[in-house]
Amino acid sequence: MSELQQTNPVPATAKWKIPQEFLTAKSATYCALFLPLAALPLLIDSSFVYHIAILVCLNAIITSGLGVIVRVDQLSLAHGAFAGIGAYASALAVIKLGVPFLLSLVLAALAAGVAAVLLGRLVLGLKGVYFVLATFAFNELFRMIMLLLPEISGGTNGLSNIPAAEIAGLEISSKPGFYIFIALALAATLLVVWMILRSPIGRAFDAISGNLPLAQASGIPPRRYQILAFTSGSVIAGVGGGIMAAYVGFISPESFTFWFSVNTIIMLIVGGRYSIMGPVLGALLLTPLPEVLRSTGQLQQIIYGVCLIAILRFMPGGVSGLIDRFAELMSGRK
Amino acid sequence: MSFEAFLIQTGVNGLILGALYLLMAVGFTLVFGSLRVVNFAHGEFYMLGGFAAYFTTVTMGLPAIASIPLAFLFVAVLGLFCERAVFRPFRGDELNGMIASIGLALILQNGALMLFGPMPLAMPPFAEGLTRFGSIVIPTSRLLAIVISAAVLAIFYVVMMHTRVGRAVRAMVQDAEVASTFGIHPGLVYPLGFALGVGLAAVAGAVMAPLFSVSPFTGHTPLLKAFLVVVLGGLGSIPGAAIASLAVGLIESYTATFYGSLAADGLILLLAVIMLVMRPNGLLGRAMRVG
Amino acid sequence: MKKNLAALVLGASLLTAAHAQAEDVLKLGAPFPLSGPGAAWGTAVLNGVKLAAKDVNEAGGLKVGDTTYKIEVVAYDDKYSASEEVTVVNRLLSVEGVKFFTGPIPSAGLLAVQPMLKKADAVAITLAFTSKAIGPDYPGIFRVSITSHEMAQPQVNWLIKNVGVKKVVGLFENDETGHAMEADTATAYKKAGATYSSEFFERGTVDFVSLLTRVLFKDIDAIELSGMSPTTSGLIIKQARELGFTGKIVRTGGPATQEIVHVAGKEAAEGIVVHAPINPYDEQMAAFIARYEGEYGAGMNGFAPFFYDGTRMMLKAMQDAGTVEDPIAVRDAMAALSEYEGVLGKVSWVGEETYGINRQISVPFYIAEIRDGKEKVVATCNVIVCE
Repeated sequence: MSELQQTNPVPATAKWKIPQEFLTAKSATYCALFLPLAALPLLIDSSFVYHIAILVCLNAIITSGLGVIVRVDQLSLAHGAFAGIGAYASALAVIKLGVPFLLSLVLAALAAGVAAVLLGRLVLGLKGVYFVLATFAFNELFRMIMLLLPEISGGTNGLSNIPAAEIAGLEISSKPGFYIFIALALAATLLVVWMILRSPIGRAFDAISGNLPLAQASGIPPRRYQILAFTSGSVIAGVGGGIMAAYVGFISPESFTFWFSVNTIIMLIVGGRYSIMGPVLGALLLTPLPEVLRSTGQLQQIIYGVCLIAILRFMPGGVSGLIDRFAELMSGRK
Repeated sequence: MSFEAFLIQTGVNGLILGALYLLMAVGFTLVFGSLRVVNFAHGEFYMLGGFAAYFTTVTMGLPAIASIPLAFLFVAVLGLFCERAVFRPFRGDELNGMIASIGLALILQNGALMLFGPMPLAMPPFAEGLTRFGSIVIPTSRLLAIVISAAVLAIFYVVMMHTRVGRAVRAMVQDAEVASTFGIHPGLVYPLGFALGVGLAAVAGAVMAPLFSVSPFTGHTPLLKAFLVVVLGGLGSIPGAAIASLAVGLIESYTATFYGSLAADGLILLLAVIMLVMRPNGLLGRAMRVG
Repeated sequence: MKKNLAALVLGASLLTAAHAQAEDVLKLGAPFPLSGPGAAWGTAVLNGVKLAAKDVNEAGGLKVGDTTYKIEVVAYDDKYSASEEVTVVNRLLSVEGVKFFTGPIPSAGLLAVQPMLKKADAVAITLAFTSKAIGPDYPGIFRVSITSHEMAQPQVNWLIKNVGVKKVVGLFENDETGHAMEADTATAYKKAGATYSSEFFERGTVDFVSLLTRVLFKDIDAIELSGMSPTTSGLIIKQARELGFTGKIVRTGGPATQEIVHVAGKEAAEGIVVHAPINPYDEQMAAFIARYEGEYGAGMNGFAPFFYDGTRMMLKAMQDAGTVEDPIAVRDAMAALSEYEGVLGKVSWVGEETYGINRQISVPFYIAEIRDGKEKVVATCNVIVCE
């Protein structure tokens, strides 16, 4: 995964060395793509464009979480539930305890993390499809439990009028303000994921997904790393959920169902599950789609289904796989 | 109504549910066994079976009993097409096959929505009136549903046990390599297994359609129940699916009648989760921890 | 149907900037569930709005002050989901520049967008059942349907007196709307002196045998269906009769007769006492139904006339206020309408006592019995009494 091609030699005396792996043709391509895109909403200055951009970033964050989990070959259908746990933790902390927004996101992360560790220890030993079914069952259980506890979840009413986000006293509920916040949050998420994946932990992930018995034989305890991947991914979902609660201002148990998890999967697959930027691409391509196809929800869902199957079949690396190959070509490698 | 009659009535209701779940679960297990695909679209085939029954009975005016085999045929053919178009590239690839089935589910459900609209369509029942056994009262239409389901399962059993095709598919479910020794071209067994499996779902849909109406959304609950039943009975085991379906049907009926449907759904879900954690093979499933 | 309209609007909005109201077009924002389970409801209500727009346009347009406007209905699919509602209303507000809304109609969706609508001072008509839908905090929102809060008591009183109902079980969907209805229904029955109990079930359930077996064991003489989804009512009636229940079945909630007869069959539906929001034999209403069905096909949903009248009231308010640019003025003009002559009869706004502000529609409604597949009106009601 790490490429040692040097495009910019870094002086040995630099205090903060930009890691060499960072400066590659791949990252250059992505920067060329995304930085202008990221700046676009600020230039157009339309409330609606901001709204879409914010949703793209939100989806990208949540999908990145799933991307980490998929790295160890487990597909989590409980992703929606973890986003829900984070969302409720954050919203309730703000509403009932007056906790500041950023702190509430930390609480969201903690809540999702604890739940993920507990669930993970129970079900991560299960083989592929059983794991999927177990997470599916957990998502349903979460929804049911939330409905049975209206004092906490607001029941089917949900929680409305969640206060707008405030950071250090500055209300960031205005569209440009929130966009800047969430774009930074996305960048931070991608950075964290990147750091995890290029570390020994990430290499262990790759070993496990490549050949589990071999990894085991080389002394990597698969269980521990699977739980780590599952937990980190679900924590990211939880934080995403907390941000979503603050932005939309309304959450209910129905916001985090099986279909939430399905949408995340679609974005991951289409964007590309083997790349860190995959989730961003998936979110970028699929989030505005409803806006372009405003005529019927049905057609849009059919297109999702067809895209999903087509990508799985013909472009298993997703769109980011294409871009990676393009970048390699451009850099003159083979 | 006396308490014993009440209990028996509830038991009968449970058997009806069990029959429905049996058809769904056996079909689902068949698809998994032959293609190793967890078919998230299974509920949509149930839904399409219901629509097929609606069209043959209401639109084409054929006798109600014909709707069952016609629904089976229509959906089985559709299943052959889906196997070819969607699942063939993912044979043996469980994860991707499963994701592909999610895509298929989206296409089928929304396609049905676009073609038929969201309004539920009502069908005339198989029979009117009530049948009485002492103080037990069963709507005749429901009694017929059990009888027809039992008949279909009996036919299925015969096919599985005593025909070459059936034995090959069954062997496939148990062990892929053995299947080819039955002299059926291996390439055919996959689509047949799939078609048979979703055809059973369609039969379930056709049998239940007069009872519950048809709409593009009717597939979700049967799918959910199929999952839970095969988890309990064991993925890949047809006898396991059979036992688990009847058990789930009875448990659900008794719990729902005494404690409400939310409690019943929650209990079944909880049982499934416990089973997954303690004994992932389910009651009778084969060992599933191969690499 | 709406595809042409949406495609046209889509094309226009993609090319033009955010604020683009052509000089003589007035856009009405129409976020409705147009796909998924809520679609039957959403399409019906949308048709009511479109018919209102059509009527006004065909009569020469909406004359406000010196300008004559063509009404354009901009319909978007909210998929019955709260988060989708936020996106859709956002788009209507900022891209289409809409200030006047018909919808949102689901309770959750409306709650999610209330702050947004308030910030824009938008005017909206809704059907949402939640008691939080209208209030002094959101003076721009008007509810154009009668909820169980308004109609339960007078209907129940009449039922107890005239139908002889004593031991009732109420069946409700287990969600926001269902719980709200249950509260009102429980109060009404208890106040009227009947023995009352209730059961909840998941929205979308189709198999009621366990529930009904349990209920029948309790020895009741009437089942109350309140405002649950119409098809579900049909299924319950059908299955109850199949199980041999011969007692009274009543429905004091919204319109559902069409679906009940369709799903349960004429025989099972015979004698059921229902709430009828409209009297199909009233001359004006009959004419409206004929026109609606001529345009959109048979089987008008009972909510359509409410949105027809609601839309026309909003348009009239614009005329009264003399502007389409100042939504606050329009809002005040709309609130001032009293005894407006709509297809529903005389329409006024009430609700100050209950909700703190007069934004709840008050129209006469009816109780009817289903005879041979059709409604036969047996009583006329207002919010106080039925006779």
